[in-house]
Amino acid sequence: MSEWKPQFYPGQSSIAANRRKYIDPSFRPRKIRSVSDEDIVKLLGHRAPGEAYRSVHPPLEEMGEPDCPIRKLVTPTPGAKAGDRIRYIQFTDSVYFSPLVPYMRAWVGHSRYRGVDIGVLSGRSPLEARERDVEIIAKEFIETEWFDAARTAVRGATVHGHSLRLDENGLMFDALRRYVYDKETGEVVYVKDQVGVPLDKPISVGKPLPEEELKKVTTTFRVDGVPFREDKELIEFVQRVHELRTRAGFNPEKVKGI
Amino acid sequence: MPRYPDKIDLYDDRGNLVDTNVPLEAISPLLNPAIKQMVQLIKRCVVVDLEGLEKALATGAVGGARCIVAGRSLKLDLVANAEAIADKLAECIRVKPDDDTEVKVIRGGKTLLVYVPSTRFEAGVEYTTGCTTVAAGLCYTIIEMFNVDLFDADLIHTAVWGRHPQTVDMLGGFVKMLLAMPQANEGPGYALRNVPVAHLAIITRKNAMNAAALASILEHTAAFEMGDAIGPFERLHLLGLAYQGLNANNMVYDLVKENGNGTLGDVVRSTVRRAVEDGVIRPLKKLSSGYTVYTTDDLPLWNAYAAAGLMAGTMVVCGAARAMQHIPSVMIYFNDLIERETGLPGVDFGRVAGTGVEMSFFSHSIYGGGNPVVFHGNHIVTRHSKGFVIPCAAAAVALDAGTVGFTPERVSGVVGEALGEVPLLREPLKHVAQAASQIKGEI
Repeated sequence: MSEWKPQFYPGQSSIAANRRKYIDPSFRPRKIRSVSDEDIVKLLGHRAPGEAYRSVHPPLEEMGEPDCPIRKLVTPTPGAKAGDRIRYIQFTDSVYFSPLVPYMRAWVGHSRYRGVDIGVLSGRSPLEARERDVEIIAKEFIETEWFDAARTAVRGATVHGHSLRLDENGLMFDALRRYVYDKETGEVVYVKDQVGVPLDKPISVGKPLPEEELKKVTTTFRVDGVPFREDKELIEFVQRVHELRTRAGFNPEKVKGI
Repeated sequence: MPRYPDKIDLYDDRGNLVDTNVPLEAISPLLNPAIKQMVQLIKRCVVVDLEGLEKALATGAVGGARCIVAGRSLKLDLVANAEAIADKLAECIRVKPDDDTEVKVIRGGKTLLVYVPSTRFEAGVEYTTGCTTVAAGLCYTIIEMFNVDLFDADLIHTAVWGRHPQTVDMLGGFVKMLLAMPQANEGPGYALRNVPVAHLAIITRKNAMNAAALASILEHTAAFEMGDAIGPFERLHLLGLAYQGLNANNMVYDLVKENGNGTLGDVVRSTVRRAVEDGVIRPLKKLSSGYTVYTTDDLPLWNAYAAAGLMAGTMVVCGAARAMQHIPSVMIYFNDLIERETGLPGVDFGRVAGTGVEMSFFSHSIYGGGNPVVFHGNHIVTRHSKGFVIPCAAAAVALDAGTVGFTPERVSGVVGEALGEVPLLREPLKHVAQAASQIKGEI
């Protein structure tokens, strides 16, 4: 059936449409800020800028690989090829209209990036990969509209507090105070790296988006925004999958044409 | 007459066709001669770590970690005399002169691979027969060959049997089998699920397709033993074994080849496209957003397609990173994405995604645990999807280039290396396909 086209995500709401758009790997998120490669490395805190990548095993070419047909079919990422350590970037997304909800990070990440290990927890979404691969992915996430200076944060540790009330400047609570609001410039500035180690020079991630703008790009359902219950199509979809899982568990041979 | 109408084409691990139009039941653990022989070999094959035993006797370090019997030691040249020990041990455990007893000396005498005679198993009900026979026979052999006296024989026993009977298993002993002691199994029929994937990766020499096949064979054979693969669920398991584990219709290989430079999402979409093209799923209705809900008239076959996609996704993601830790993430999000792409349930109807969540906590040091090399289907957080999870974990471990501290080599030790000498276990894909081809006329 040649007319088959990927559809990514169901739902009739603007939130569902955003989710559908972001999961599609052909979508290019708008770049809204520039953060230098050096500052990305500092923010991650895994190595000093300019320092060589440390390795966990020799480069694949040197060590040789077992006789496995799958290894011949699957190209290793640059980091895997070099034998880099596996490192991470971890995000905390506000419940107040953040561009990406935690689950979206997994769906978007697995749709667009190779060799990534993404997790979703209550207050954090780690993305792990080989070190040089992480740096490239981190840059794309931080520089684009998927990162809002106020409602998204890079937090390697002590992540919680994201669901508390926002502060007077619209920023999420951060127990480690990794970032501050610069009243003069209106920008959010990181003064510590992702695990809370002070930076020698602050790193600006720009101005927070206005609330109305955030509501356009968000993937968060909220009663004071777009409530989940208003997206009947999505509710019915979720209920359908749940029902089919249950029926199949009872007798898979009897689930036909439903 | 076959019970099921399904026919499959069988391929090897490199995408070469072995046979076409094979009835599904030809790969059934109940009928396939190679699978039946593998199960018997798993019971019969026992590994003796002679090098370890020699060192333990010399130092008195017997009965497991941190146990040293001060003042007790025996300096015996076991490795140097491996051939003689092998002959004497074979003689000791043999039942009839022409039976299938065999003791192979491998790794330059450091290890013995013992094939315990089938007759001994026919005369009992437990799979532990192999281990107990070899342990007791080895004690007797060493005592005889090296003239060990009454007062030193207990050290031989403790070194060979480990801390047993203080422990239910042979903790710290130097006679090992692939399976755990029955008391360590989660429930009835779990024996073949209690094998850490580290062993499977090492036995298959880190060939991801064969590691997956071996794991799949053990898991689905266990499904028959557990009472899962019966009635309407038998075909579900057979299709899962065929498509996910045995590369039926070359689906896993094709999906990996197509997405060798791709992402997990790409594999999801390739899987759905193939299911649509093969008529396994079809549009049911269009929703107001333009989203098309798909349906199927054959949910077990859709499940097999999704399971093959999951395997390919594992190979593409863990293969790209040459790392094993990604496996739980693949299990959760492959299923999330494929459910959202189609409106149909994911692999094993949600159980794989659920197991992935548990595994991710277990494998990422959130609630302790360990890395994927110690995963097996006999653990509280890994057992829920029977047959469809562990094969992916085995493939992931096989593809790792060395990113973990506890490597599969370290965890598996001499067991995996020795059992890798058994061709049927090392290259299961080829042997099961050939055996299926041979019996297809009889189904």
